[in-house]
Amino acid sequence: MVDMTAHQGGGGSELFSRGFGLAFPFLVAIAVSALMLLLIGENPFDIFTLMANEGFGSQRRISATLSAATPLLFTGVATAVCFRSGVFNVGVEGAFVLGGLAAAFIGFTAPAEWGAMIILPAFLFAMIVGAFWLYVPGVLLARLDVDEVVSTLMLNFVAFGISGYLVNGPLLSESSGNNVTPLVHEAAQLGRLLPPSTLHAGFFLGLFCLAAYAFWTRRTADGFEAELVGLNQRFSRAVGISIPSVIIMVMLLSGIVSGLGGASHALGQLHRFSEGFSPGYGFTGMAVALLGRNNAFGILFGAVLFGALASAGTTVQLFSDIPLDLVNIIEGTVMIFAVVELGRITLFRRRRAT
Amino acid sequence: MQRSAIAATTRTETPDKPKVRLGAVDIHKYYGSVQANSGISLRVAPGEIHAVVGENGAGKSTLMRILQGLEQPDSGAIIVDDVEVRLNHPQQALALGIGMVHQEFMLAPDLSLLENFVLGIEPANGPLGRIDWTTARGAGDALAGQTGISIDWSRRAGTAPVHVQQFVEIIRLLHRGARVLILDEPTDVLAPPQVEDLFNLLRGLRDNGTTILFISHKLREVMALADLVTVIRRGRVTFNSAVADTDAEIIAEHIIGEREEPALAVIDDRAPIDGTAETVLAVKDLSTPSVEKSHSLDNIGFEINSGEIVGMAGVTGNGQAELVECLVGLRRIEKGSLVHRGQDITLASNAARRARGLAFVSPDRSHEGLATTASVEANVVAGSHRSPPIARGPFLNRSAMRRVAAERLDRLGVTYANLSDPAKSLSGGNQQRLVFAREIAGDPSLLVVSQPTRGVDLNGIAAIHRILRTFRDNGGSVFLVSEELDELLDLADRILVIAGGRIVGQRDANDADMAELGRLMVLQDSADG
Amino acid sequence: MIIEQVIAASLIMTTPILLAAIGGLVNRQAGIVNIALDAKMLAGAFVAVVVSSATGGWFVAVLAAALCGAAIGYLFSLVITRAKANMIVAGLGLNVLVAGFLGFILNWFYNSSGTLRLPGVHLLPHVFPESSGNVPVIGGALADLDPLTLFAWGSVLALPWLLANTRLGLRLRAAGNAPQVARAVGLSEKSLQDFGTAFAGFFSGLAGAHLALASIGLFNEGLTAGRGFIALAAFYFGRNRPVTTALVCLLFGFLDAAQIRMQTAGLPPKLIGTIPYLMVLVALCLAGWRNRDRKAMAQ
Repeated sequence: MVDMTAHQGGGGSELFSRGFGLAFPFLVAIAVSALMLLLIGENPFDIFTLMANEGFGSQRRISATLSAATPLLFTGVATAVCFRSGVFNVGVEGAFVLGGLAAAFIGFTAPAEWGAMIILPAFLFAMIVGAFWLYVPGVLLARLDVDEVVSTLMLNFVAFGISGYLVNGPLLSESSGNNVTPLVHEAAQLGRLLPPSTLHAGFFLGLFCLAAYAFWTRRTADGFEAELVGLNQRFSRAVGISIPSVIIMVMLLSGIVSGLGGASHALGQLHRFSEGFSPGYGFTGMAVALLGRNNAFGILFGAVLFGALASAGTTVQLFSDIPLDLVNIIEGTVMIFAVVELGRITLFRRRRAT
Repeated sequence: MQRSAIAATTRTETPDKPKVRLGAVDIHKYYGSVQANSGISLRVAPGEIHAVVGENGAGKSTLMRILQGLEQPDSGAIIVDDVEVRLNHPQQALALGIGMVHQEFMLAPDLSLLENFVLGIEPANGPLGRIDWTTARGAGDALAGQTGISIDWSRRAGTAPVHVQQFVEIIRLLHRGARVLILDEPTDVLAPPQVEDLFNLLRGLRDNGTTILFISHKLREVMALADLVTVIRRGRVTFNSAVADTDAEIIAEHIIGEREEPALAVIDDRAPIDGTAETVLAVKDLSTPSVEKSHSLDNIGFEINSGEIVGMAGVTGNGQAELVECLVGLRRIEKGSLVHRGQDITLASNAARRARGLAFVSPDRSHEGLATTASVEANVVAGSHRSPPIARGPFLNRSAMRRVAAERLDRLGVTYANLSDPAKSLSGGNQQRLVFAREIAGDPSLLVVSQPTRGVDLNGIAAIHRILRTFRDNGGSVFLVSEELDELLDLADRILVIAGGRIVGQRDANDADMAELGRLMVLQDSADG
Repeated sequence: MIIEQVIAASLIMTTPILLAAIGGLVNRQAGIVNIALDAKMLAGAFVAVVVSSATGGWFVAVLAAALCGAAIGYLFSLVITRAKANMIVAGLGLNVLVAGFLGFILNWFYNSSGTLRLPGVHLLPHVFPESSGNVPVIGGALADLDPLTLFAWGSVLALPWLLANTRLGLRLRAAGNAPQVARAVGLSEKSLQDFGTAFAGFFSGLAGAHLALASIGLFNEGLTAGRGFIALAAFYFGRNRPVTTALVCLLFGFLDAAQIRMQTAGLPPKLIGTIPYLMVLVALCLAGWRNRDRKAMAQ
């Protein structure tokens, strides 16, 4: 009856709160990890300096960081596509894993004489598998209102089961022992950009996905609709947008990008599929998307940051005995506190926990 | 105005009883610049049924929220048992014996009625002590027994009939020591026989000393039940009397108020409907069942011609919202048909109807009419984002989008700072003009408009009325739902009156009589004839 | 003989899932979907091993594990109820955080990556004497029966009554079913939910203690192997009803136990392991299908 929402917010404070929102989870994470370091008698400042050096200190370190950031570009975008539209897809991990397996499968079964051409069908198959994998929960949400959080979470475990079965059974490499498929043909491997670093051409594909995502959000009618659906479903329905179509579309896009990410990781990084293919790239991708506020630059920033953490963590462990697990502590803290700040966008999120 | 209240008090007065069980003295309450209550005073004596009536937006709900401790008045005092009190919280009000029966019943749907009854004051020793269900049921049955009603306590609240839920909520409040019950439109959800049961219950409670404050807009019920009636209009008390000393006609006049003469002049502006007018929308035998909390619709039929504003009057909650949703394609139509310019659109989606030239101004501006957190630009072009010049195939031309947005906003004089600002940064009137800017941009043939001036200041109202008239004068058709009879009489060519999900009357605006429309709206039972 | 072994193994495998599921279902009845059961199990397992080694007693170890789980759960709940964090992302984050935290401690203080073996760890005792193993069919199960398994099944039997007939049980259900109603009658739905999450942590801690102390007597980073999520699947599939959920847990425990045997029989254990999750998906679809017609809104 009475409008109390008018006259709120201003340009400057908005910008400040966005910047603070970006920094806040990291500040908490740094505080938590500093506490851990103090607890074990290390100087946090020294360690953080060391980590910064190990993350960005030289061309080699930067390329290691970008290499570690590559899968996160894909999973970050795949997550952001859905989160931006209010679809709470936590199934990127599963689609990433299956996409990787699909690409690796083509990579070692296709006739070697196809040469580098193998890469195309490998990526295509990975995209199809990823898209199908997330199409299922998308349709279930759009048509039957099946909670996407639970369905995608469950599908992750199904994906682990299926890939684990295949890699230990029908697709098991005969020559290299347990839990891995054969290596893909040499021609199907993505080129290394700065040897000896593992940074590979998939990084550019990741950047391309990121750019495509930015284009999609700003310059396409679909991206425009998805944003409106994410902001207000009732409004979107009333102006003639079909909510089910948008849900299915973003799930398909998310699956395609996840599949591409898996394929890039399989063909570029590991050159095969193995059990433990992804150490949670899909979940870290959630942290990346949340931290980056679903914005393309934010995602790039988040992916590089987490990439730096991962690559620096490995070497810091070598040089200073600080356990690599510090990275997980930081990541977990960032995830928790990224949503503390985000609490308000969850307000319009319906039902839950019935 | 206090004379009759005192008279009522003396009727039930005994030496130990306070004169005023619940009272308000000169209550003022502003929301921003809108004054919801401007100096309301109310005295409710022990053991009386006091009805508060008025149109939607008259300030009843605000007053009730204040009396219940949900909100604090800007100035004025609340009296309980002759003593001035401050109510900061509903629990405080309940501790003083004031309990509110909400329209949306406060029962947990998955708990049984008995569980709901005892929730919060369970007879048990400690948190892990066993709840003494026998005692609980005894207490419930005793309260129910006083009123001659029996309850199946083990039933899940969500599956119990609404009148039973309401009853349980009432006795739950009594069980917690409520001596004053505030009921907000308690009969809205009830079928006629259940209304009679509720009234018997309330009369029984009154005779046992409970005081009842009854908010309603149905005069027949007020006449049947209440001892006293207070009319609120535009935040002020305009009438107060013992029910026995007045009649429904007089009360209705006070609810609707005097009609300002100048508004009549507007009628002369109206473009004559020429012979070439075509039927833009034909609604035939439209019916929908009641689903969850929505109202059912019963055989609605009418037509809208080009160059015509058809108004719909009615008390909120009588099916207007559902009818509008059916018209614009947001609600499934069970029975009947919609024909738009000769083509059946009964099954067409909202998008398909929009493509055919139907536009919609939602009554819920902040949740449906706008995406308040999205930019002004996105709000004003949403829906047109798939057609040129904004769309180039699947892609968006952002500069065309900006241009179109600015043009649309300028056309209706919407004041904004930046296109990228969120829509919520605009004032209420500008927000609504933004909605109109979007909806009339595609030159629709039919504009379905619901409550267009709710929460809009006077200047904004004038602007919106101008927009609607211009649209009509250019040959457009408007279906206008409003709570404001003034607005309907100003704008509409014909006025339909809806009550209980049925159209109970139709009047030509030129010879519509406000009092008569008001009677049709509130005295729906007389129209049932 | 094989049947006897399978029964015994199923029962043992069921216990940690069941304990976590009991916690999760109470939590969900109070309105919070706890996706971080796994984290609390892991923490419980770690604490159980450390305390058992330090004190040489199993009971203190189990209690410490449970309290540790409860403390983590309570803090987690505050983030959700007070700081309004999204419960799903925060839960996934907690899983990562706790795993990282434990790995860090393991690495730094015990100089081990992944596995913690400590001297003098006391395993859970057996409730019945060795001779009970001679009972036909269920002998193996009887002989292996430990106090936590007994406690878990006791809880399953007591829980319906506790939820239905105690003040706390009623209030928890009210907080989950209709928080605004709980608030309207003067209850603090947030405190109730905090209690529910701490309760889930307590039981997850017990579950972790069982994983660590039932037979292996050590801690491993991968010890839970996603059992917290199996527990989630169990109470989703059991629709929050204690006895139904327990039976679902038993089925999952059986699948878990059977995996090892099916491997030798040539059946793919990894695929068997997906059954719990597929069951939940099917259950969700059926529920969605049933509710489909209730939607009045046109799409």
